[in-house]
Amino acid sequence: MPGLRASPPALLLLLALALPRGSLAVQQLEPGSRSAAAAARVALQYRNFQAGSLGGLRALGQVRKATLKNIPESGHKYYLQFSTEDYRTGEDAGNCLATVLFPKKKSRPVVSIKCSHTKDQKEIQEEDNKFYQRIRHQSKPITASNIPDSYGNIEPALEPVWALAVAGSSSIMWEKSTETLGYFLAQVKSARQWMRKDDFIEFDYTVLLHEMPTQEIISCHMRLTWLPGQPLKVKHFCAPEGHGAEQGSGAESGSAAGPAAEKGASF
Amino acid sequence: MRLLVLLAALVAAATCTETFFGHQVLRVVPQSDEELQKVQELQELEHLQLDFWLEPRKLGLPVDIRVPFRSLQAVKVHLEASGLSYSVMIEDVQALLNEEKAEMLRSSRHRSVDTATFNYEAYHTIDEIYNFMDMLVAENPNLVSKLEIGRSTENRPLYVLKFSTGGTNRPAVWIDTGIHSREWVTQASGVWFAKKIVEDHANNEGVASILETMDIFLEIVTNPDGFAYTHSTNRMWRKTRSKHAGAICVGVDPNRNWDAGFGDAGASSSSCSETYHGPYPNSEPEVKSIVDFVKSHGNIKAFVSIHSYSQLLLYPYGYTETPAADEQELHEVSAKAVAALSSLYGTKFTYGSIITTICKCGGSPKTPRSQNHPSHWPNIPWHSCTVEVRFYTL
Repeated sequence: MPGLRASPPALLLLLALALPRGSLAVQQLEPGSRSAAAAARVALQYRNFQAGSLGGLRALGQVRKATLKNIPESGHKYYLQFSTEDYRTGEDAGNCLATVLFPKKKSRPVVSIKCSHTKDQKEIQEEDNKFYQRIRHQSKPITASNIPDSYGNIEPALEPVWALAVAGSSSIMWEKSTETLGYFLAQVKSARQWMRKDDFIEFDYTVLLHEMPTQEIISCHMRLTWLPGQPLKVKHFCAPEGHGAEQGSGAESGSAAGPAAEKGASF
Repeated sequence: MRLLVLLAALVAAATCTETFFGHQVLRVVPQSDEELQKVQELQELEHLQLDFWLEPRKLGLPVDIRVPFRSLQAVKVHLEASGLSYSVMIEDVQALLNEEKAEMLRSSRHRSVDTATFNYEAYHTIDEIYNFMDMLVAENPNLVSKLEIGRSTENRPLYVLKFSTGGTNRPAVWIDTGIHSREWVTQASGVWFAKKIVEDHANNEGVASILETMDIFLEIVTNPDGFAYTHSTNRMWRKTRSKHAGAICVGVDPNRNWDAGFGDAGASSSSCSETYHGPYPNSEPEVKSIVDFVKSHGNIKAFVSIHSYSQLLLYPYGYTETPAADEQELHEVSAKAVAALSSLYGTKFTYGSIITTICKCGGSPKTPRSQNHPSHWPNIPWHSCTVEVRFYTL
């Protein structure tokens, strides 16, 4: 019957009209847009944490392509293509394809990411081993503060401690990120190593995260363990905001306004 | 405006670095013609990007080679396969450079006696910057003068440098840096701008042509109380240091204190917030003094404010989506500025109006507005921009 044969397309059309408006809404974003860059950064924070590698840490290069899809009842999903740089050196590190879903309900972003690389795995592993050895070689537990210092300098000897903090705090930043709130690691306020009998490296950190666009400085405490080739284990607790935390301009610390920050490390 | 283009170039120049992480310097001492030849072969292999600090010359003389990290494996294999022994002179070139730089900075802590020996690559204290300003004026009395436009909450002088080749109340450009005290790279940029303006004038290039018909006003330490606080107590301090009646916390975000869209979204009414707008517009003397200066001058044609970080060049408006009256021209000028900036080291800046660039929120209904800048004062026909400098640090 001709009427029935004609119905499927009509049915589809009806369905499309019946569905809530915007459910299939897909939006091309300007590659230069803030929200695309922010989503790409979240994807990289996720990767920097999951990869558990200090030599493989990456920063965002340029977003090449970005699409935003509204998934009703679920959230906003970003589809991204971007270039990356080596976190330390700024050298081109390869390109990534990622999706980032910011769930409607308050939970951490769901990320899938796949990247090409300019360094091969062996090179990265060697760097990780180098970092590992540099930390393990110390006879006393490492303690340090203010990395980088006020002038933006990182003592070469403290680089592994800093790289470990970057990898660990990436997990905090990824988990806290929303479609409108993003994070950068501003400074490692303090680091203290716990010696272990096994091969794992363990550290306590206080890190300062710069929250955008609120400009707030969030202080987080994290405890992490690491072994090259293994995923990082991170536990964290961030000070609730507006709580008289000394960092940032937010509030004044009590009468004990801190003295000028001490630099340097003791090994 | 050409000044904007040149400013962009100044900023890019201030932020370029090359690095040598993991590079090693190897020493080989060829003892036979064969060995010498093997070493010379390495010079042919351009893809290895070797840098010969001591070229191969005669037998028995050392050959020093800086090897990038990526090529280390290949070079060492080549040397070993050729039976050439080598020693590692420098294990990590970058580490050595960092040490040297730290040493330089340590030694540069002594006060310089003129702007020629001033260290533009280091961050300075407020005293050092104020001293720099006095030296610059003393060295260039016919071009530069220092004005005090007011006092901060803690009674620090608010100094503005005036660059002028003459005339009376010429049309002028205003530039401020350091309004957010923790954005140290901006005060440092301001110091460098001052020097560059003087140099350009001396060499009759760059901004020299602008100075023929216009004046430049430059406020380097726009928030001196905050800046002093970042040195003495808290590197992350952003706001002023005022304490208003009834406020729990100290400080107002000076860049939410202007009288345009005051109190709109993007600013906070909580004194403990980093973006606290203050009890009323121009409550902060740091802000009021600029307002008073600009209004009484009456002939400011361009207003540029430098912040960090984000690599953005922004123009009005931040508090409304209504395009600025001369939006087209602002957009064109920004495009040229960004292109000029990029031409030096490839640094990429994004540009656009504040409301579209800072918040391209994919259609979300609440678009936070983040700036209620004097640039947004209505009825003043001028260009105005905010430049967000590079640096992944505050």
